Amino acid sequence: MIATWYSIVSFMLIVYIVLDGRNFGAGMLHWLVAKTPEERRQVVAAIGPLWPWHEVWLVGFGGTMMAIFPRLLAASFAGYYLALMLILWCLLLRAMALEAGGHINDRLWQQFWDFVFVVSSFLLAVLFGAAAGNVARGVPLDQSGTFAMAFFTDFNVRGYVGLLDWYTVSVAACAVVLLGAHGATYLTLKTEGPVHNRSAVLCRRLWIAAIPLILIVSVETLFVRSNLLREGLPNPLCWVGMIVVIASVWMLVSGIRRSQEMRVFVGSNSLIIGMLATGGATIYPVMLLSTVSPEYSLRAEQAASSANTLASALFWWPVAFVMAASYFVFISRRYSGKVSVRRDTQGYY
Amino acid sequence: MNTLVADPAFWSRVQFGFTLTYHYLFPQLTMGLAWFIVYWKWRALRTGDEIYNVAARFWAKIFGLNFAVGVVTGIPMEFQFGTNWADFSRYAGGVVGQTLAMEGMFAFFMESAFVGAFIWGEKRLGPRVHFLTALLVATGSWLSGYFILVTNAFMQHPVGYHLGADGTLGVESLSAYLLNPWAFVQFAHNQTAALVTGSFVVTAVGAFYTLRGLHPTQSKLYLRAGTLVGLIAAVLVAFPTGDQQAKMVGRHQEVTLAAMEGKFKGGEIAGVALIGQPNVKEQRLDNGIEIPGALSFLAYGTFGSYVHGLDEYPQDVWPDNIELLYYAFHLMITLGTIFIIIMAYANFRRWRGKLDTDRWLLWVLLLAFPLPYIANTLGWMTAELGRQPWLIYNLFHTRDGYSKVVSSGDTIFTLIGFTGLYFVLGLLFLGLTGREFAYGPDSEIASGGKELVE
Repeated sequence: MIATWYSIVSFMLIVYIVLDGRNFGAGMLHWLVAKTPEERRQVVAAIGPLWPWHEVWLVGFGGTMMAIFPRLLAASFAGYYLALMLILWCLLLRAMALEAGGHINDRLWQQFWDFVFVVSSFLLAVLFGAAAGNVARGVPLDQSGTFAMAFFTDFNVRGYVGLLDWYTVSVAACAVVLLGAHGATYLTLKTEGPVHNRSAVLCRRLWIAAIPLILIVSVETLFVRSNLLREGLPNPLCWVGMIVVIASVWMLVSGIRRSQEMRVFVGSNSLIIGMLATGGATIYPVMLLSTVSPEYSLRAEQAASSANTLASALFWWPVAFVMAASYFVFISRRYSGKVSVRRDTQGYY
Repeated sequence: MNTLVADPAFWSRVQFGFTLTYHYLFPQLTMGLAWFIVYWKWRALRTGDEIYNVAARFWAKIFGLNFAVGVVTGIPMEFQFGTNWADFSRYAGGVVGQTLAMEGMFAFFMESAFVGAFIWGEKRLGPRVHFLTALLVATGSWLSGYFILVTNAFMQHPVGYHLGADGTLGVESLSAYLLNPWAFVQFAHNQTAALVTGSFVVTAVGAFYTLRGLHPTQSKLYLRAGTLVGLIAAVLVAFPTGDQQAKMVGRHQEVTLAAMEGKFKGGEIAGVALIGQPNVKEQRLDNGIEIPGALSFLAYGTFGSYVHGLDEYPQDVWPDNIELLYYAFHLMITLGTIFIIIMAYANFRRWRGKLDTDRWLLWVLLLAFPLPYIANTLGWMTAELGRQPWLIYNLFHTRDGYSKVVSSGDTIFTLIGFTGLYFVLGLLFLGLTGREFAYGPDSEIASGGKELVE
């Protein structure tokens, strides 16, 4: 039961990262792929109508985590207080940039919101990357089951660590490149003309940079969390995840070589899914590793709600999920194809 | 004073109170407007009259702006359960997290999936599917309200839970939790209040255009629909929903009812104060003018019923800000009464065919639109201040719920951040909605090439 719920909660987070990750990536590259006001609107239109639908996955994840693993929510959200607030503010600013930028047709006004859009998207990629690094490395949980973390301490990965250290910074850097590549891939699929061509060039370059970076970060992770391999290897899901990763890399490489954009896009999505799933499966059942002492680590069975609570949530979750999946089909069909800069198709330009 | 500034629980309360109050300014209008738009879409579908489509299209834009601000200010609410109220989440997350997750997955997913299609997809979707998206968005927004109110109802009147061996709450019966009687009453009261906000805004825009002499057909439609729904909703907010809500408080939160009414001493034939200021130090109501027996009757059904006084309870279970609670409650009731009077008079004038020409009345209807926002806020202040000192009534103290690892400085810092961001957000919202009102409902038609002859 707990393993099922762990998979469900992880799944929701993964869906969020895959969906909104492409917006972070496209946002970061906004200035590089789009030079004229019309081109910029093309990028915004590729994201515009969908951001609320992407952000609700974060809401769904947060609520489900609160119901199923309340102690994990309590420990991590309070512990990451300022980092999470930064994430919230960046999400707020990004939404303001998307909504306000297109509504008023004024060069200066749009340039300002473009700036907000680029910076907030970049920071979101950094923050989510650093957060992933923190989960892998562990946090200074003590015997009370709580922690409070500085932004950085001595940049070491043991003991009383900070949000940023050499490892989490490298994960954040990798996340920026990876999500940038993910976003560029999405833009090649959604845009045409110069934006498309620039995105295609960036897509190729960023993937060439991202794949070695992923390898480096994986090796670093094995160093930072040395018992990960021993604990993760017996888990079959971990192997499935790795196969997905390898298959995705193959799809990416072959897709880029043959300029098959859909193939690259599928590879990009499945690579992120595979990586996060492998990570999630490998660390299970430890949800939050303590860098102070392994005995203070928060394990899934300690973090979970009562058995009756988990059972009752299993009543409604599948129903909600089927409904969500049907909306997904509706949205994918409705927003398929390239965006075009004609008036009033989506109201974002 | 110094202790308060250093108290992280106090600052977490201020931050949650501020972000929540600000957030709820937007959903109350989306929930209130949603059914107006559905109704107009339905009329357009049935009659084929373009006037209803114009109205639906115009209000959909206002809805969209409100929805977007509602989303971005709503996400911090969910995060704050973990960031600022970690000990509460640890204690009750298994229960309240369920409805927060359900709100996200059942309601919010539905709303966000279709809102884009609803606002921008009219041409592509065709009239029937477009009507359906409007219906789904409206349903989503009200479902969302229900799940949030179940969560709040649990905090007001906990049911369906069990206390585990580890000292935290879990769900004992999901149906009992979801069908909390308190939630039904609160939902009815809250949703009719949202309709009051929606109808006052629709009416005010109609009054504005009429006073300006703009968009005559559309403004007539807004005035007609707004005043009619406004009267029905204003009456329903008071009776039976408000009345039932007060009875619910009287049944399950006796000390709260005493504080709401400034009843320091219990007794039979208890009155409702028309005027008066609670004096907590002297434990009496200053300058009180009361209707004798009214409170006994309203809360318990007969004029002779005994109403408990605050003196029967130890001071540590009194709501911790009786003055604010009392003023919030009484001002809400006053405003509720004013809504009924304004809307009754407006409907009377409409019946006589004078609504469009009565400039005094139109000015009143225009200027009255902020009042339902204030009344909704006061209602929520009554609910939340009245629940104190409990976070979950009779189970869990507010002072035990905050995050122990987050310092008051952290919270003050983020509170300042939220204040600044929300200020900019508010300016943007007002600017963009103001622009839509200035363009008016006919702008789309003009750009679409179809002229509507007024």
